[in-house]
Amino acid sequence: MLSTIAIESLKRRKTTAILTLLSITISISLLLCVDIIRTQVKTSFTRTVSGVDLIVGAPSGQLNLLLSSVFNIGTPTKGIEYKSIAALQSNKQVSWLIPLSLGDTHRGFRVVGTTNSFFDHFKYGDMQSLEMAAGSTFTQPLSTVIGADIAKSLGYKVGDKIIISHGLGSVSFNNHDDHPFTISGIVKKTGTPVDKAVYVTLQGLEEAHTGPKHSPTSMLGRKSADKANEHEHEHEHEHEHEHEHEHEHEHEHEHEHDEHTKEHAVYNSEAFTPESVSVVMLGLKHRVTALQLQYQINQSKKEPLMAILPGMALAELWQIMGNVESLLLGLSGLIVICALIGLATMLLATMRERYQEIAVLRTIGAGPFTLLLLIQIEAMLLTIVSAALSLGLVAGLMSALKPWLSSTYGLFLSSPLFGQSSVIIILLILGCTYLVSLFPAVAAYRRGLHAGLNANS
Amino acid sequence: MNTINKKNSTHSQRNAVSEEHNAVNKERNTAIEVSNLQFSYTKESPPIIDIKAWQVSQGEHVFLSGPSGSGKSTLLNLLCGTLTPTQGDIALLAQPFSTLSNRQRDKFRARSIGVVFQQFNLIPYLSVAQNINAAVYFASTNVSKTASDAKLRHLLDKLQLPSHVLHAKADALSIGQQQRVAIARALINDPQLLIVDEPTSALDTDARDSFMSLLKDVAGESTMIFVSHDKAMESYFDRHCSMSELSPSTNHLKTRGDEAPKAQERA
Repeated sequence: MLSTIAIESLKRRKTTAILTLLSITISISLLLCVDIIRTQVKTSFTRTVSGVDLIVGAPSGQLNLLLSSVFNIGTPTKGIEYKSIAALQSNKQVSWLIPLSLGDTHRGFRVVGTTNSFFDHFKYGDMQSLEMAAGSTFTQPLSTVIGADIAKSLGYKVGDKIIISHGLGSVSFNNHDDHPFTISGIVKKTGTPVDKAVYVTLQGLEEAHTGPKHSPTSMLGRKSADKANEHEHEHEHEHEHEHEHEHEHEHEHEHEHDEHTKEHAVYNSEAFTPESVSVVMLGLKHRVTALQLQYQINQSKKEPLMAILPGMALAELWQIMGNVESLLLGLSGLIVICALIGLATMLLATMRERYQEIAVLRTIGAGPFTLLLLIQIEAMLLTIVSAALSLGLVAGLMSALKPWLSSTYGLFLSSPLFGQSSVIIILLILGCTYLVSLFPAVAAYRRGLHAGLNANS
Repeated sequence: MNTINKKNSTHSQRNAVSEEHNAVNKERNTAIEVSNLQFSYTKESPPIIDIKAWQVSQGEHVFLSGPSGSGKSTLLNLLCGTLTPTQGDIALLAQPFSTLSNRQRDKFRARSIGVVFQQFNLIPYLSVAQNINAAVYFASTNVSKTASDAKLRHLLDKLQLPSHVLHAKADALSIGQQQRVAIARALINDPQLLIVDEPTSALDTDARDSFMSLLKDVAGESTMIFVSHDKAMESYFDRHCSMSELSPSTNHLKTRGDEAPKAQERA
């Protein structure tokens, strides 16, 4: 009965109630957004580097190295010479090594030069290996493996040819038109920056930049590139009108796919020796040796190098972000408190017009405490509805902004969107509502103590 | 001097009548028993109610009159338990009402006292049914929903209210309809005591007569305290009490130019 009275009372004051509801909803949404971004950034970043023990690059800052190598954010560091990579490869403590060459793009997506060892050893999330949704890993020097989001957003299929551009940014005037890469595989969705990256062979990337090397492997690459050039004209046309000739191209793709399979048997992407790479990811035989090896690498006199532990670099990132996080959370929290004070003010302002109903309720047996409860139920109802609306609003907003957040900030939202902290926030807001609503509730209680038969008194 | 003597003699005569009536009431079941009741809003201010002794028998319909400020509403609030006496006792239906806790008093009021105001009887944003059901809810009796609904329909019939008003919002009804709904709400829990505070002041003579017959009819065996300025309504009731008689010391100054001469005339 009390909730019926509270609901009807709010319905009677619907304009003020709706405005109050709106302000609380917006403020809760803001707070939830800040919290979600905060927790999702951590989850997203942490799940991206689950299997990598050390990242080695040219000396810069450990954050720059981490962000450019793993998250494809920021500017890549200067290269590491091959001899240093070879030295690392031969280190007894190193189990596997993934070379990464950065700095190119394809239609705004980062291009990463690497070898098949990337697909064999890179782990994400809860130590999950990369899996192919279609096709296979590199089958020839001008092979490319693309992330799931690129395949989806650009409508690429295995066998399609793509051209990479020099430099970062979505628009580039320096295209490597003479070295089209053929998509050999599409990685299954990971919810990490892998989904937004184009992986090409180190050999192909170097050829695109400097022209082919005269090595047995590069010869294989040259052949494929020549073959690719023969089809270039028709495939350029395809890039302009990607979906127009799907059936026509299906046969070609099948044909090329057969070729890829044949070539995969002979192509060893690791056999190529690049002049330099941007970064190397290392997996160690024993994780405990990571600090020791990091020290060795950092002290190396042959070539100045920098090795970072991804976990420690992330910890540094969280430390830097911690203050901003606290500031944003604090501000959002204050906005919620302001909205709740607005709620209390609204209820308090209506108290005078409620004297009659308080008198009526008292005479039919409602105690002053019941009146206090009634006002609190009204406040709680408004906050609960606002919280529910906020959850819906934030879920909708995040789902709409998902592509933008991942492409612009490298933030991959993973479910569940609302975690323990969201629950804590909502419980805290309900607690604050209880406290703030005590002001009008106590006013009703006091009124109830003295409300007599004469409703006008 | 003569006037003072005359007034004293009138008071002593009236006290004698009151004592005689109280003695009769003791033989019958007493609905209201007030003794040495004093009430003041602050400790410093003089009492605005000072009743030595007053009794109302069960089933008795009493007409209570007095000018504005004579303490009628305060007395009703004390009887309802929304105010607590500064001194003295009130026993309602053999319950020592003034010694009950606030919570017990609220519960007692919900179950045993029905109240009808002059106006603003209903919560305006609730429907008629919700207004009446609120009274059932606060009484928290064990009456089933079916029985309560049946009782409600019976009351509406008796009060000549069509059943569709049940779903209408209270403020969509006319004043007359609102008052009848207020009576239905006051009687829904079968209260033994009915307190009616100037319900006819907004009605014309015809409407007033019709309202009174309806009220007398539905009130049945309940004890009723009816408050009004309008002395013409005295005829509907078993007994008339004026505030100047009940609380002579507090009404002495207030009624000197108003109530006292009329009381003398009556004496």
